[in-house]
Amino acid sequence: MDGRSRDGLPWDGDDGSHGDVREAAVGGGAYEGVRENGSREDATGDGSHGGVREAAPGEGGHRVRRAGRGWGAFLARRLAGTAVVVALVSVGVFGLLYLAPGSVQQTLLGTRPATPETIAAIQARYHLDDPLPVRYLTWLGGALRGDLGVSIRTGSPVADMIGERLPLTLALTGYGTLLAVLVGVPLGVAGAVRRGRATDRFTVTAGVVGLSAPPFAVGLLLLVVFAAWLGWFPVYGTGEGLADRIWHLTLPAAALAVGAVGMLVRFSRAALIRELDQDYVVFARARGLGGAGVLAYALRNSLVPILTAAGLVVTGMLAGTVLVEVTFALPGLGSLLVDSVTFKDVPVVQALALLLTLLIAAVNLLVDVGYSLADPRVRLDGRAS
Amino acid sequence: MRRPFTGRRPQEAVEVRRRGAARPAWLRAPVSVAVALLVLVLAAVAAAFSPWIVPDATAQDLMLGISGPGPGHPLGTDDLGRDVLDLLVAGARTAVPGALCVALGSMVVGNLAGLPAGYLGGWVDALVMRWADLVFSLPALLVAIVVAGVLGGGYGLAIAVLVVLFSPTDTRVVRGAVLEQRHRPYVEAAQMKNLSSWRIMTRHVWPNIAPVALANVFLNFAYALVSLASLSFLGLGVAAGSPDWGRTLSDNRTQFLANPWTVIAPGLAIIAVAAALNIVGDWLYERVDARGRAR
Amino acid sequence: MAQEGGITVEGLTVRQPATGRTLLSEVSFDVAPGESLAIVGESGSGKSLTVRATLGLLPRGLDASGRVSVDGVRVDDDPRTRARQRGGVVSLLMQDPFTLLNPLRRVGRQIADGLPKGADAATEVPRLLAEVGLPGDVAGRYPFQLSGGMRQRVGLAAALAGGPRVLVADEPTTALDATTQREVLALVRRIQRDRGMAFVLITHDLRLAFSTCDRVMVMYAGRIMESGGAAAVRDEQLHPYTRALLAAEPPADRRLAVIPAVPGSVPAHDAVADRCAFAARCSLAVPGCLAVRPSALPVRPGRESACLRAAELPARPAPAPGVAPGAPVTAAPVLDLRDLRRTFAGSARPALAGVSLTVAPGEVVGVVGESGSGKTTLARCVAGLERPDAGTVLLDGIDCSDYGRLSRTAVRQARRTAQMIFQDPYSTLNPARTIGATLAEALRADGRPAAPGDVARLLESVGLSRDTAGTRPAGLSGGERQRVAIARAVAGEPRLLICDEPVSALDVSVQAQILALLAELRERLSMAMLFITHDLAVVRQVADRLYVLEAGRCVETGPVDQVLDAPSHPYTRTLLASVPDGSPGWLG
Repeated sequence: MDGRSRDGLPWDGDDGSHGDVREAAVGGGAYEGVRENGSREDATGDGSHGGVREAAPGEGGHRVRRAGRGWGAFLARRLAGTAVVVALVSVGVFGLLYLAPGSVQQTLLGTRPATPETIAAIQARYHLDDPLPVRYLTWLGGALRGDLGVSIRTGSPVADMIGERLPLTLALTGYGTLLAVLVGVPLGVAGAVRRGRATDRFTVTAGVVGLSAPPFAVGLLLLVVFAAWLGWFPVYGTGEGLADRIWHLTLPAAALAVGAVGMLVRFSRAALIRELDQDYVVFARARGLGGAGVLAYALRNSLVPILTAAGLVVTGMLAGTVLVEVTFALPGLGSLLVDSVTFKDVPVVQALALLLTLLIAAVNLLVDVGYSLADPRVRLDGRAS
Repeated sequence: MRRPFTGRRPQEAVEVRRRGAARPAWLRAPVSVAVALLVLVLAAVAAAFSPWIVPDATAQDLMLGISGPGPGHPLGTDDLGRDVLDLLVAGARTAVPGALCVALGSMVVGNLAGLPAGYLGGWVDALVMRWADLVFSLPALLVAIVVAGVLGGGYGLAIAVLVVLFSPTDTRVVRGAVLEQRHRPYVEAAQMKNLSSWRIMTRHVWPNIAPVALANVFLNFAYALVSLASLSFLGLGVAAGSPDWGRTLSDNRTQFLANPWTVIAPGLAIIAVAAALNIVGDWLYERVDARGRAR
Repeated sequence: MAQEGGITVEGLTVRQPATGRTLLSEVSFDVAPGESLAIVGESGSGKSLTVRATLGLLPRGLDASGRVSVDGVRVDDDPRTRARQRGGVVSLLMQDPFTLLNPLRRVGRQIADGLPKGADAATEVPRLLAEVGLPGDVAGRYPFQLSGGMRQRVGLAAALAGGPRVLVADEPTTALDATTQREVLALVRRIQRDRGMAFVLITHDLRLAFSTCDRVMVMYAGRIMESGGAAAVRDEQLHPYTRALLAAEPPADRRLAVIPAVPGSVPAHDAVADRCAFAARCSLAVPGCLAVRPSALPVRPGRESACLRAAELPARPAPAPGVAPGAPVTAAPVLDLRDLRRTFAGSARPALAGVSLTVAPGEVVGVVGESGSGKTTLARCVAGLERPDAGTVLLDGIDCSDYGRLSRTAVRQARRTAQMIFQDPYSTLNPARTIGATLAEALRADGRPAAPGDVARLLESVGLSRDTAGTRPAGLSGGERQRVAIARAVAGEPRLLICDEPVSALDVSVQAQILALLAELRERLSMAMLFITHDLAVVRQVADRLYVLEAGRCVETGPVDQVLDAPSHPYTRTLLASVPDGSPGWLG
């Protein structure tokens, strides 16, 4: 009974599933819905079930509907959103850590005798006798001034610990993303262009297997094959100097990249196939554009889904480094997180949670900016197809 | 890494199929799907009957310790002298059912939230979608690690956390499918007949989106399998010493030089079952998609 | 045989190897330079596949055989020549202006992409744009910034960029409004004549074909029925199918007592492989028609027909005289709209800017307008599927402007007073439910008995067999689905039936069946109708009174004869002039 919000009329503007209706639309009225209701609004589903599936990860909806209002408003909105998420995360982590079974005090005491003096000292040092909200505010005040506190486990400043380990994680993520994009996108394109043939079946199967392979399992298998049997790569360690470092990080980065390759193959292949099936491709061929020209059209237009996939790849890698760093015993943020969580090292976990949330928000923001550059409809008009 | 842990999955449309299928679908199922189904049957059998197939999988033989493949131990033993092949079979018992629980649980939550969100719109939709947005903006694996780690880990806890982290995807898939149906004339005609919203949602809309939700279960299943294994690998899932694939990998990750099968066997098991689930899920999705087009 | 600058097709057959089906066979035609040929047919006739096969652009999974020569060169077995010829020798203009342009490329560049090597885009693109009647600055815009008509013009400019000698246009105006359609067609024909191109037009509209092309070829179920000069075919059809098709297309200038519908629907090519494809629906068929498959043979110079009885067809009956529409009714209106307004979020212009309208009991009120006129929004407001921003909707005296505020009884009352049928027959029925379940639910919802016998009676009342109850929508044709939708709507004998473009997605022959059914139901149930359409010919046949909408306002209203015979508003006159009448002068 509620017909007010019309932006849900996706089947009106769809390009896929109504082909048959359109063909039968002898009276020409089939377009009524599309044009009479104005825009062929965005995302939520472009009609086919395929669209629905894509709508889940793509979240095209609120990402693109900005336009016209300019970059300022857009950025402000995104920053506000990120701030809310960060605030919720910090409260969540804080609450969780203090509600967890086994008190911090117990952890800190370890094997030392629980004399009243030591307990009092610990409580004073970590403000454990303050009520929970006060402790949160104390921490928040420090964090806002740039003071992330001191690790309960090691006693060193949290900022230093993170500073030491961040470069490795970033290098690993960057290296992995590079490998994944260099392998995944060309494979996906090859599959789409040679659709239905042996090349395609191979890339699709490889993609699914890659997608299904968790990085720690891949990492261990890579170690068995390339480090233990073939001896091409070192088993552990991070290496000295740039070349050595790259050599040491190749297996971990490859372990990270395998899943990402699977995802990029799938996204870029599906996106390119969808574009190659569009009317405009047939029309371009019909008026004499060569194979390369037509492929350029289609590739250019599959950029938005590929960007979406790339964004997911990077954020996924930031999380996946945890597994890979543990597998390869690398001193990055991920292994720090695992160690700190089991130790209930509140300041470190807090800082890591915030940092990773911010990094992921930054990647998503970059992807959104990428959309605008890739699609003039987002840039000029405020809606996506 | 892997795509996984942001909670958003590559649930891309498979491929556009031309109409005009002649033979029934199951006859045209490609070889890969047949192989995948075989893998799933094996995994299901192992999960259901492993206590009878390998009753003493966790029996240790510390005298033997770690050893390569040999008589009586086709894949060798681990450092506790446990038979790697037996562990592999027994590992299915925790790896598979837990993942299935996550997939089914998140499907149920996704349908319960996505159906009204898509159909009723308004504040229901706003509420559900804000919740989904929040979960989406978090890295799922990291959240799972923090929550499971802080609360002390455990199999049930891992499953519960994953259901919470997975359900937004199902919610979005279901909501998207509902939105696509919601303004179709058959739904509006039902409104014109003054049927209740509940009846329209359950009797009219849901049967038409159920195939999408169902195909999604397989993809979630695969993803859950991998995620649970990841948590177990980090020591945050099943209890130490249990034969779970992720846990076995973790227990033996320093042993691969002595007997590589201790990591190859469980590693390949996880990959094979997850890939099989993905292949079947994709294939189902493609079928649903083709049916949606053919109408 | 094969001329330079033209197309010759002999014995074209298209198959789908995966299923073993043949989709069209024995199609032959030729088009000389400067000549134009219209290929006419309903959906399923194979007209689009014919040109796709001719151009080597069949969808994946289809194979063509037969001789095709373009510009004097045989190309059916020579994909490289084919590829070389595209753009420079032969070019295609496609149907849907919303999808035929690359959405992410400025239109100027898209046009330039098709220019021959060495051409200077800076001068050629503006020249091409000017040729299709667009200003030069359009080159810098993206397709989404242009209207449908402009996009189709850009498409034409792009198709012409390579300087083709043969232009093929596949339903180039079907997706456009009637007024835009006429402009674009006039443009295409003028350019074709100026450039002396051979021209093939695919269309479903016989009258449009007569007005646009020199010759026409009528296809049905994947084969040729009849071909000949446009004027000759218009004056005398040598195949019963052509006659039926022409007769089923209602005239806009008078109301027929009965629209001659063709029973049944278009068969698949293979289902009628060994007989005349039209025999089963033909009133002139003799037993011989079912025994052999007739080929298209010359009947007289320049005329071919695939009818066994082509030479002995009885003379065409004189055009039926018009009848007068129903007399005005003065009773209290069943529907009273007052100053209805609605603006969609994000839209600058209101969809409805104050429309008032009444429908008396038993009266059929037509609402006509082009896309963007607000007519669909109007229907949806009346149906309660859309809430107006302002104004009132009085249904049988109840204020139904906002269903959310009505009591349950009032809502039920309103729902039983007004029911609706929709445009798209493919999504109007729930694909997951059987027809019987759908109708039983409708009967129950309207407070009627819903036993299987009642469902069967309801089905029969819309001309469907009672066995239909067990099938699902996928097993029905578009026309049959629309019949079920009508049965669902009239299950409770509503006093008002809202019809939103109920026939515009159907083929002409089926359209006539549905219009006849609606007329009969109206008579039997003495039901009023609010009939929304873009088609003046259709509204002429069904409506008693007419409202003409333009951009959310009603510009003219009155008895249908008065409005259509003596329109007072210029917009109404433009609309009327846009209805194809089959005369060569129609394009101006």
